[in-house]
Amino acid sequence: MAIVNRTPDSFYRPGVTWDQQKALDRVHEVVAEGADILDVGGVPAKPGDEVTVGEEIRRTVPFIEAVRSAYPDLVISADTWRHEVGRAACEAGADLLNDTWGGWDPRLAEVAAEFGAGIVCSHAGGLPPRTRPFRISYTDVLADVLEHVLSLAERAARAGVDEARIVIDPAHDFGKNSWHSLEITRRLDEMTATGWPVLLSASHKDFVGETLGTSVDNRLAGTLAVAAVGAWLGARVFRVHNVTETRQALDVVGAIRGDLTPARLIRGLA
Amino acid sequence: MIVAAAVCPSPPLLARELTGRALVLPELRQACATAVARLLEPAPDVVVVVGGAVATASWDPGERLDLSRWAPALGRRGTPGLPLSLGLGAMLLDEARYAGPRILRAVGETEPRAACVRLGASLPGLARRPALLVIGDGSARRSPAAPGHFDERAKPFDLAVERALGDGDMAALAGLDAALARDLMATGRAAWQVLAGALGDGPAPAGEVLYADAPFGVGYFVAVLDHR
Repeated sequence: MAIVNRTPDSFYRPGVTWDQQKALDRVHEVVAEGADILDVGGVPAKPGDEVTVGEEIRRTVPFIEAVRSAYPDLVISADTWRHEVGRAACEAGADLLNDTWGGWDPRLAEVAAEFGAGIVCSHAGGLPPRTRPFRISYTDVLADVLEHVLSLAERAARAGVDEARIVIDPAHDFGKNSWHSLEITRRLDEMTATGWPVLLSASHKDFVGETLGTSVDNRLAGTLAVAAVGAWLGARVFRVHNVTETRQALDVVGAIRGDLTPARLIRGLA
Repeated sequence: MIVAAAVCPSPPLLARELTGRALVLPELRQACATAVARLLEPAPDVVVVVGGAVATASWDPGERLDLSRWAPALGRRGTPGLPLSLGLGAMLLDEARYAGPRILRAVGETEPRAACVRLGASLPGLARRPALLVIGDGSARRSPAAPGHFDERAKPFDLAVERALGDGDMAALAGLDAALARDLMATGRAAWQVLAGALGDGPAPAGEVLYADAPFGVGYFVAVLDHR
């Protein structure tokens, strides 16, 4: 799942796809690099100037329309917590609603059901959208994650979302300190054991930077390490900025696991 | 009398499962398939597979190669100790859908020339119309990237083998220098000398080389020898 944000101020390479043509160019790149899903967001996760429903739609929906007409078969995900935006996105051709803020707007799942779209059920520790964790703590963070995302998944299924289109996401950094994000990474197998497909969204995030002591521009290796561990533990969707590198990391993990046949082996066999 | 003989190499990469998604060296595979098809054309009553190994020994004709030695992920199947050369020979026969009788005969790669020739001379008497599938490789020191790095003597050695196979020159094969072959990591020397022993008594066979190259620094030869 490749990230193409329609924002001027996202944390990683801010504004790089703010211009619609640049965003479309980026889509061509990530598709060529092997992305299966495109994730389009119009509001950064961090606090900042208000982005109204109308503005979020203006940023994302025409873009989704343009991508849909260029790529009829690409899975398009709309990264939004708002059902109004979700509805407009689905009308424009979105297939998946990436509800990163943990079901803040319960009507989002109803929109997914109405359009036959999928939904990502995530855990943000109960925080409102666009807020940061402040001294947040858990008795057992993974238990909290599981309880929350499973109840969201069941709620979405009850609302009529196709169970095959429901994905769960522990949401690294959202409502979590870096220890929490490391913990949910380490115990991701407890999420994959539920049988719901697990989405891993760790690309260049703060917990990677804090773990390494690196700035936002120097987190790729750490990001790939998280993807590799996640893949090893059974994660199915990887929301990332770097498609080629992630594909390569996942392919190596797949080969180690025995899920993927290596490309071309000669060494020692000639 | 031996009705036909074929020579093929034994890189593990001939086993399709070992090279991953890529079909490596399709032209070598095709040459091997052609050689085995030509071997089976005169309808032999048995195919004797001869290949180099750690020790001279006979193996049960039902044995198959255990690829998990090279790729543990494939899981254990086949016979763990079956020499690579015999296993690949058996595989080539299977791929040609040969279901007739077969004999698997390993020859120790360090066997002296006389022992190899003697072993070869015993093969025509094994049946009325035996065919011989000889599995062996040239020098593994053909290029800087080769498994044994580069040795300038490797190419001339391999060229001599190629010429002997093309000319049906069994005396030249019988005359290969065992010490030099060992230096050059040419593991086919013993098996080729068995071939020389098997065909050396009668009229010189006609030889045809279908493939001779060292794409990964190991000399591979595919040839057919018969009395056309």
